[in-house]
Amino acid sequence: MAAYGRIHADVLRTLAPPGRGYYTALALVGAVLAWALYAWSVQLARGLGVAGYRGAVQWAVYITNFVFWIGIAHSGTLISAILYLFRARWRAAISRTSEAMTVFAVLTAGLFPIIHLGRPWYFYWLIPYPNQRGLWVNFRSPLIWDVFAVGTYFMVSAVFLYVGLIPDLAALRERTAGWRRRVYQFLSLGWRGTQEEWRHYRSAYLLLAALATPLVVSVHSVVSWDFAMALVPGWHSTIFAPYFVAGAILSGLAMVLTLTIPLRRLLGLKDYITDRHLENVAKLIVVTSLIVTYAYGCEFFIAGYSGNAFEQAVFRERALGTYAPLFWLMVFCNSVVPLTLLVRQVRTHVWALWVIALLINVGMWLERFIIITGSLSFDYEPWYWADAIYRPRWVEYSIMAGGFAWFFLGFLLFVKHFPVIPMAEVKAVLGRRSDELGS
Amino acid sequence: MRRRDFLKALGVTATAAALEGCRRRARRLLPYVIPPEDVVPGVAAWYATVCRECPAGCGLLVKTREGRAIKVEGNPAHPVNRGRLCVRGQAALQGLYNPDRIRQPLRKRPSGGFRPLSWEDAERLLIEQLAELRRQGRADRIALITPLQTGSLDHLVQDWMEALGIPRRIIYEPFAYEALRTASRIAFGRDAIPDYRIEAARVLISFGADFLETWLSNVRFARAFVEGVRAVRDGAQVGRFIHVEPRLSLTAANADAWVPIRPGTEAFLALAMIHVILAEGRAAPSLPADEVRRLTEWVRPYDPETVAARTDVPSDRIRQLARLFVEADPGLAIGGSVAGTGSNATATLVAIHLLNYVAGYVGRTVVFGPDSHLGHVSRFSELRDLVAAMGAGQVEALLLLDVNPVFTLPRSLGFEQALAKVPFVAALASFMDETTARAHLVLPIHTPLESWGDYEPQVGVHGLLQPVMRPLFRTRAPGDILLAVARSVGEDVASKLPWPDFYTYLRERWQALHQRLAPDRDFEAFWQDVLRQGGVWETVPSEPVRLTSEVFQTKLEPLVLEGPPSESWTLLVYPSLHHFDGRGANRPWLQEIPDPVTKVVWDAWVEVHPETARRLSVAMGDVVELASPYGKIELPVYVYEGLRPDVVAVPIGQGHTQYGRYAQARGANPIELLSPRPEAISGGRVWLSVRVRLTKTGRRYPLVSTAARDRQLGRGIARVVTVEEVHPSVPERPVPDMYPKHEHPGYRWGMVIDLNACIGCNACVAACYAENNIPVVGKAEVALRREMAWIRVERYLEAVGEYPDVRFVPMLCQHCDNAPCEPVCPVYATYHNPEGLNAMVYNQCVGTRYCANNCPYKVRCFNWLDPVWPDPLHLQLNPDVTVRSKGVVEKCTFCIQRIQAAKDQAKDEGRPLRDGDVVPACAQTCPTDAIVFGDLNDPESRVARLARDPRGYHVLAELNTRPAVTYLKKFGSWGIQPFRNPAGRQIGSLADGQVGR
Repeated sequence: MAAYGRIHADVLRTLAPPGRGYYTALALVGAVLAWALYAWSVQLARGLGVAGYRGAVQWAVYITNFVFWIGIAHSGTLISAILYLFRARWRAAISRTSEAMTVFAVLTAGLFPIIHLGRPWYFYWLIPYPNQRGLWVNFRSPLIWDVFAVGTYFMVSAVFLYVGLIPDLAALRERTAGWRRRVYQFLSLGWRGTQEEWRHYRSAYLLLAALATPLVVSVHSVVSWDFAMALVPGWHSTIFAPYFVAGAILSGLAMVLTLTIPLRRLLGLKDYITDRHLENVAKLIVVTSLIVTYAYGCEFFIAGYSGNAFEQAVFRERALGTYAPLFWLMVFCNSVVPLTLLVRQVRTHVWALWVIALLINVGMWLERFIIITGSLSFDYEPWYWADAIYRPRWVEYSIMAGGFAWFFLGFLLFVKHFPVIPMAEVKAVLGRRSDELGS
Repeated sequence: MRRRDFLKALGVTATAAALEGCRRRARRLLPYVIPPEDVVPGVAAWYATVCRECPAGCGLLVKTREGRAIKVEGNPAHPVNRGRLCVRGQAALQGLYNPDRIRQPLRKRPSGGFRPLSWEDAERLLIEQLAELRRQGRADRIALITPLQTGSLDHLVQDWMEALGIPRRIIYEPFAYEALRTASRIAFGRDAIPDYRIEAARVLISFGADFLETWLSNVRFARAFVEGVRAVRDGAQVGRFIHVEPRLSLTAANADAWVPIRPGTEAFLALAMIHVILAEGRAAPSLPADEVRRLTEWVRPYDPETVAARTDVPSDRIRQLARLFVEADPGLAIGGSVAGTGSNATATLVAIHLLNYVAGYVGRTVVFGPDSHLGHVSRFSELRDLVAAMGAGQVEALLLLDVNPVFTLPRSLGFEQALAKVPFVAALASFMDETTARAHLVLPIHTPLESWGDYEPQVGVHGLLQPVMRPLFRTRAPGDILLAVARSVGEDVASKLPWPDFYTYLRERWQALHQRLAPDRDFEAFWQDVLRQGGVWETVPSEPVRLTSEVFQTKLEPLVLEGPPSESWTLLVYPSLHHFDGRGANRPWLQEIPDPVTKVVWDAWVEVHPETARRLSVAMGDVVELASPYGKIELPVYVYEGLRPDVVAVPIGQGHTQYGRYAQARGANPIELLSPRPEAISGGRVWLSVRVRLTKTGRRYPLVSTAARDRQLGRGIARVVTVEEVHPSVPERPVPDMYPKHEHPGYRWGMVIDLNACIGCNACVAACYAENNIPVVGKAEVALRREMAWIRVERYLEAVGEYPDVRFVPMLCQHCDNAPCEPVCPVYATYHNPEGLNAMVYNQCVGTRYCANNCPYKVRCFNWLDPVWPDPLHLQLNPDVTVRSKGVVEKCTFCIQRIQAAKDQAKDEGRPLRDGDVVPACAQTCPTDAIVFGDLNDPESRVARLARDPRGYHVLAELNTRPAVTYLKKFGSWGIQPFRNPAGRQIGSLADGQVGR
C-alpha cells in the first residue's frame, strides 16, 4: 500500500486538467441531456400522450427510473455509512465514489416523479408549506411520504458526502492556487486539522453515519409502499419493503462496480481501489441477489397459496404470459448470473465482474418495470387488461437516457473537482488499526 | 424610472410570461350589446321537437343555453320514446354542429369540384332550370327523391310537384320494410306495417327482427321489451324472449335463447310451429273451423322433422318453441329485419303473421291501426324504374332532398351511372355525402334541429319540430326553398302555393288539425301548447283483420342467393345501431363509442366464425377480400363466436368515400356486394342476397376493440341469477375499518343498475359524452385505451353454446364509500364529499395518476393530450361542466351539475328535493330505465328500495370499496324454461366476497 505522500500525489493527479477523452465524454453526456430536454419540452407542450402509456398502465418508465435510481443510491449509503459503523475498514477507498453516486442518483431519481406528472409545473403542490392557496397535502398518500423520504435522503446523503470531504478539501486548498484555491478554501470551512477539529469531526461523521443508516432501510421501504399500499394485485404485498431494500442494495452494488471498475482504471487508482474491494462488493452482491431471488419465489408462492384469483392472474401473466420474456430475462440477470460470483475465479476477474454488474443493472431495471407495468396491466377488470404490452416511445427513451446523462454529468464533474479517494480516511486506515477508527 | 418601478415591472412581466405558458388563452369573449330579452344567461331554455336521425320519430327536448343547443333528451310526453333516446338520437347534436356541414350554396365547376355562390344565384339557377323544362313542356321529366317525410313537408312536396306538374317522386328509405307491408296485405288484406305490442307479450319470438337496434322504432321497443318479457315480478322474470337469427346480434344477445337458424329458413320454422300448434289442437279457439282445416292442410308438409333438417333447429326445439309460444298469454312473433330480408322475405313474414294468427295474438299483440308511416315509403321496384328512366335519359332534372342513394344502393343497380346522365341534379342537403358530391347544384339545408316541421311516425302521433336555435350557417329550410321556387317559377305555380314561408304553411296545416282535435280552443293557445308539448297525440282505434283466402296461395320458396354455391359464405349485412344506414358515420361520438357487440371503434369489419377463421387461416385484424357476383370489398376480420359458421356478417354504415372527416376512408361498404334484384312478391329491397368468397389478402389492419378480454375470468363483475341458484340472500359483512365512517348527514347519492334491463345499447354513453364535455380522442388513441368515456358498457361473452350468455355491465365511477382512489391522491384532488360523491377537483389535480392505478373499476380517465373540438363542435359544450385540459384525471361525477341544478330549483320553490328530481344524463336517456339514481339516505326512494333487492350486488365487493352503485343480477341463460322459478324459490344473491358466476 502506498505511503502517505503518494496518496496525496495520486489523488491530486486525478484532479489535473483533463484530456480530450474527458471532454468528449462531457460533450456526449451534454448532448444526450440536451436531447432529453427537448423530448421533455415536447411532452410538456403536448401532454403526456406523446409517451407510450396505454390503458391501465398509467405508471411506466418514469416511475421505473425513479425506483431504479433510488435503488442505485442505496448502496452508496450502505458502503459509506453502514460499513463504516461496522468498521469494515476496506470500505474506505470506495466510500467517496459510493457517496457521490448516492447524491447524484438521488438527484436523478428526484427528477422522474416530476417528469411523470400530468402537470409538472405544479409539482410544488406536493410540498407541505403554509401557502396562500389554502391547500394542504394528503398525508395518507404514499406519494407524500416519498417527498419526505427522498428529500430527507438527499439532504442527509449530501451532508454526509460534504462532511466527509472537509479534511480532503483542506488538503486540496493547500495544494492548489487561484480561484480553485478560493473555492476549496471556502468549502473547507477553515479546516486546520487540529486535534480538537478531528475529535469533533469524528463524532459528527459517526453521528451522520448513524443517521444515514436507517435511511437505507426506510427510504426504499417508503418507495416500495407506493406500490404495497395500493390495491393493485402484484403490488399489494407485505414483502415489498424488505424486497425493495434488498433489490436496491443489489442494484446499487452493481452500479458501484459498474462505475469504479472503469474509474480506477481511468484515474490510475488501482492501488487504492484494489481487487479485494471489488471482491468484497461481489460477495455482497451474491448475498443480496439470494435475498431478491427468495423474494421472487415468495411472491409466486403467496400468489399460489393464497388462492387469490387476482394475484394469481398477475403472476401467471408475468411468468407465462405477455411479460414472460422480460420476466425470465430478469430472473437470469438478477438470480442466475450473480450465482457465478460464488466462484472465486469469476469474482476476482475484473472484467467478468463488470459485465455481471451491468447485467444486474439491466435486471434490476427490468424488475421495477415488470412490477410496475406488469401489475397494472392485469388488475381487477379484465375489460381493461392490456391487450398488448406497454412500449415506451421515443420521448420516454430520450428522457430515460437523459436521466443517465444527468447522472454521469454530475459524476464526471465531481471526479475532476473533488478527490474520489478519501485521502484522510485512507491515511487513517493506513496508519492505524481498524478498531481505532472513528473513535 | 426608479429602480423600484423597474423591478416591479420586471416582476409583473416575468410572472405574466411564465403564467401564459401554463394556461390556455380564452378565446374572444364578446358581451351582448343589447341582450335578448328571453335569454337569461345561465338559465337553460328547453324546446320540444322531433328526432329525425331515423324514421322512428322520437320526441326530443333540446336544452339550449345562451342560444346554443347543448343537449338533447327524450320528450317524456312523446308516446314513441317516452323521454328516452338511443345513441343515435343523443348524437343528433353532432349533426347540427358537424364541422363538415355545407355552409353555403355550391355549384359544380365543369372541371369538377365546387365553387360557392350566393343564395340568390343558387335559387335563380334552380328556378331557371325548372322554368325552362316547364316552358318546354317537359315538367314530367323532373323527378324528386326525398326521404320519408310525413305531415306538412310531405304535403308541401306533393302540392309543389302538382303545381309544377312533376309526376315522379320517390320516397326513399334504405330500410323500407316492403315485405312486411306486402305480407300484411296478403295475410290480412291491409298494406300496412302493424303496431306491435311488445310490452304485452309474455313470450316474444323474434325471427331476426333487431327491435333493440334499428327495427322500426328501437327506443319504443326497448322500453316495451323491459316492460314486457323482461319485467321482473315476485323475484322472477315474467316472460321469455327467443331470438331466431343466424347471427348473435345485440338483440339476440338480450334473448333468453338464441336459435342460430340457417339463413332464410325462418319461414319454415314458423310454419313448423304452426304445424305443431295445429297438430296438438292448440290453435286459438277464435279461429273458425274451416280456417283451421285449411291451415292444417297448408302446413302439412312442414312437420318438425322435415323442417329441422332444413333449418338446423332440432325438432324437439321446434316443438318446445311452439308450445311455449302458444301457452303464453299472449305471445308475439315478429320478423322482417333488414339483415334477414331475402328473396323469400314476404312469404316468411306471411308465415310469421300466420303464426301470430293461429295462436290468437293478432288483435292482441299484433294490431293494425295505428299503422307505421314507414308503410308509405316507395317500393324498391319504383326506384329501379326511376333509375332505368334516368339511365335512358328520360329524367332531365333531379331534386334530391337529404338522401344518399349513391351510398345506400347496391352499385350494381347503376344509380351512380344513371345519375351522371341526368343533366341537372340539385341536392338539398346538409352534408357533402356521396350523392350530394355528384350534384350540379348544392343547396345547404337546415338540420332538423334548426327547422320547423312536423313528423308523424305512426298514425295519430303528430310530432312538431321547431328550431331550437338560429341556423348556424347560411342554410335554408327545404320547405322555404320549394316555396321560393314556386314563387318565381311561374305565375300558375305561385298562385297555387301562395305561402310566404314554410312556417306559415305549417301553421295553416296545423289549423286543420286544431279544427279536428280542439275546435273549441283558441288556435294560438293550442299552438303554444303543442309547441311546448312537442306535438299532439290521438288515440287511433285498431281495426280488426281477418285472414284472407289469398294467403293460401303464398308459395314458400327456399332462399335464393347469388354467388358461388360452394366454398363461399352467406353474406349477412346488418344495419348498425350507431350508423343506421350510414348516416351516423359522420358523428364522432358514434364512431368513438364502441360498437355494442364487437366493441370495435372507428371501423368496419367482417365477422367470421372461429371455424371459418381456421379454414381461411386468418385471425382478428387480417384483411380478407369479400367477392360477390356484384363486387369486391376488403375488410379486416373480426372473429366472432356468435355467428353460424356458414355465414359472414358485415355492418352497414362505414365505407364512405365522402361525408366528412369522421366518416371518410373507414372500412368498406358491404352494400356494394348486394344484388340489385327486388324481391318478387313485394318488389322490395333484398339484403340477404349473395354468397361471397373470402380470400386472405395477407395484409393486416388492426381493429381497435375496447374489449381486452371477452371473459370475465370468474370475477363476478357481471352476475346472473341462474335457475339452479338457491343461495339465500346474504347481506354484505361489515368490515372493520381504522378510519371513522363517512357521515352523510343530508343526501347520500347512489345508483342502481338493473342488468336484467340493460340491453347494452350505448345510449347512456352518448348521453354522458354530450352532458359532460367528454372529448373524442380518435382511433389511434383508443388503440392505446385512452378513450375518455366516463361510462362504458362492458360486454362479457361468458359462453356461446346452446344459449348465449352475453352480459352487459355499464361501468362507471362507483362512488365508493371507501374509495381506493381517495387516500392515494397527494394533493386532495379527489375526496369524499358529504353527499357520498367521490368528487374530483380538476384544478387541484397535478396528474400523478395514482388514483387511476388504484381504482379497481378502471373508471378514471387521464387527459393524455389537450382535447380538441373542431369548430363548431365546441358550441355544443355544456357551460355547466368544466372543460378539462391535459394532465388532469377526470371521471363520472354522478352529473353533479344536475344535482346542483335540482337543489337550486328546489330551493327556489322552497321545498326539499324529491325523489326523482335529480336524474343523471345516463339514467335520463336509458331506453330501458335500467339506471336509477337517487338518495340512499331516504329509505323510501326508488333507488334505496331497489338497492335492497335480493338480486343486488356490488362489483368487486370483496375489496371493501363499498360502492354507491348496486347492480341487480340478470336472469341469465335460462333459455326456454318455464316462466316461474321452480316452486317460487327465492332468488338469492351471492354471499359477499364470493366470486359468483
